[in-house]
Amino acid sequence: MRPLTDDETKVLFEKLTKYIGRNIVHLIDRPDEPYCFRLQKDRVYYVSETIMRKATSVGRHNLISLGTCFGKFTKTGKFRMHITALPLLAQYAKYKVWVKPNGEMPFLYGNHIVKAHIGRVTEDTPEHQGVVIFNMADVPLGFGVSARSTVDMRKVDPTGIVVFHQSDNGEYLREEDALF
Amino acid sequence: MDVSGILQEHKDRFQSVQVDKLVPVDFDLGHLSSFDINLLDPGKLKAGQKTRDAYLKSISRDGAQMMINELFSLPTVVDDDSVYAQLPKPQTTLPREKPLPKEKVETRWEKFAKIKGIQTRKHSRLVFDEESGEYKPRFGYKSAKNDEQNQWAIPVADNADPYEDQYAKLRKEKKERVAKNNRRKQRNLEEAMATERGLKPQEMRKSQLQRALVMSKGSTASLGKFDTKLTGEPKIKGIKRKFEPLVGSADKEKSKNMDILNRVNKGEAKANLLNVRKAQRVLGTNKQVQAEMNSKGKKQPKRSRK
Repeated sequence: MRPLTDDETKVLFEKLTKYIGRNIVHLIDRPDEPYCFRLQKDRVYYVSETIMRKATSVGRHNLISLGTCFGKFTKTGKFRMHITALPLLAQYAKYKVWVKPNGEMPFLYGNHIVKAHIGRVTEDTPEHQGVVIFNMADVPLGFGVSARSTVDMRKVDPTGIVVFHQSDNGEYLREEDALF
Repeated sequence: MDVSGILQEHKDRFQSVQVDKLVPVDFDLGHLSSFDINLLDPGKLKAGQKTRDAYLKSISRDGAQMMINELFSLPTVVDDDSVYAQLPKPQTTLPREKPLPKEKVETRWEKFAKIKGIQTRKHSRLVFDEESGEYKPRFGYKSAKNDEQNQWAIPVADNADPYEDQYAKLRKEKKERVAKNNRRKQRNLEEAMATERGLKPQEMRKSQLQRALVMSKGSTASLGKFDTKLTGEPKIKGIKRKFEPLVGSADKEKSKNMDILNRVNKGEAKANLLNVRKAQRVLGTNKQVQAEMNSKGKKQPKRSRK
């Protein structure tokens, strides 16, 4: 376990900014207790300070996970966000997409979202922007990247892809081994 | 005809060619320059812009006039249709424009020739070729030895293989000679580079090979981490990274993260200076605004997915 270097923090924040924009401040500067980012075996964990201090007593090979896993750094230094980051992303998301009941299952199986399944979208979502996908009951289902801006979304035909799938709740089952 | 009056009138229109200065002016006609160290009149300089400009203009005019007077006093050379003034040698030495060239490193042959005292003989480019009776270049294009027509018969020893293609053999030998020369040239370059840096050529080659080896080791899918090591292979020392202490002060970490976040936001802000979509929405469906935006040549990329 070790804290992130400056470059790694920068890469992480750049990725997070795509989804939650300036709300990262709420992640760093929390009113209740200080939270921190720690790296264990290339995975980034978001954990409260008290728990982190307790975790120092666990050996390197025995420590599997702590706090919330945001994602992992690949060998070439890129950051890949995992589904386990969803609760925090959903809280602070800037651009949201609501999916109709008939569109939930295709998305949870890992497919992209087509226009026919879109219930609602936040206004003025730019193109290629990170979005968080909710169902009509405001339950976060996953996150992705907008394929088109809100304005263009209206023009596309119903079978056109509007949101690229990045991660969904179904990955808890599909990628059980790789998540933690 | 009395033209002196007209000449006088013409002369009076311009200023006098004679220029008098308190301190005599130095000339370096080789560089076409003059050095005038007369004091300037501060009163005229500090007065308004017009007087100052007129004063400076008159000084420049005087300087140019003096220079031209000097040029006209030089010895002249008459060419086909023009008269040239012969400038004397320049007196002021100007500093070097470019740095001194580096000393050339001696090649292996040059060192050997120096020791043995071999002098190179200058050869003429053209050589008399008896067969054709004319002068041909010593080597290269149109030379006698490269002419394919010349080699109509090749004397071959008694014990030579009868099935061997002698022409092919000659061509092959030539290629080998050319390749050998190129190798030697390359070797000379490398040795020169090595001596410039102060290493021995073998040491430089060895370090280059080691660097290439290290790079090739890491060119596998797992960046060389799980490859089986050979016996006696040295362990590659990477740069040891320094990390922050695991449990530090929470405030310091918070402030550091905020700094990085600000930097990231600044980068983002620069990239998204104008949210065009939002601007369009805010400005509404106003036809005039739309027309204005279209006329500015803003191209909206139209992508249709099939």
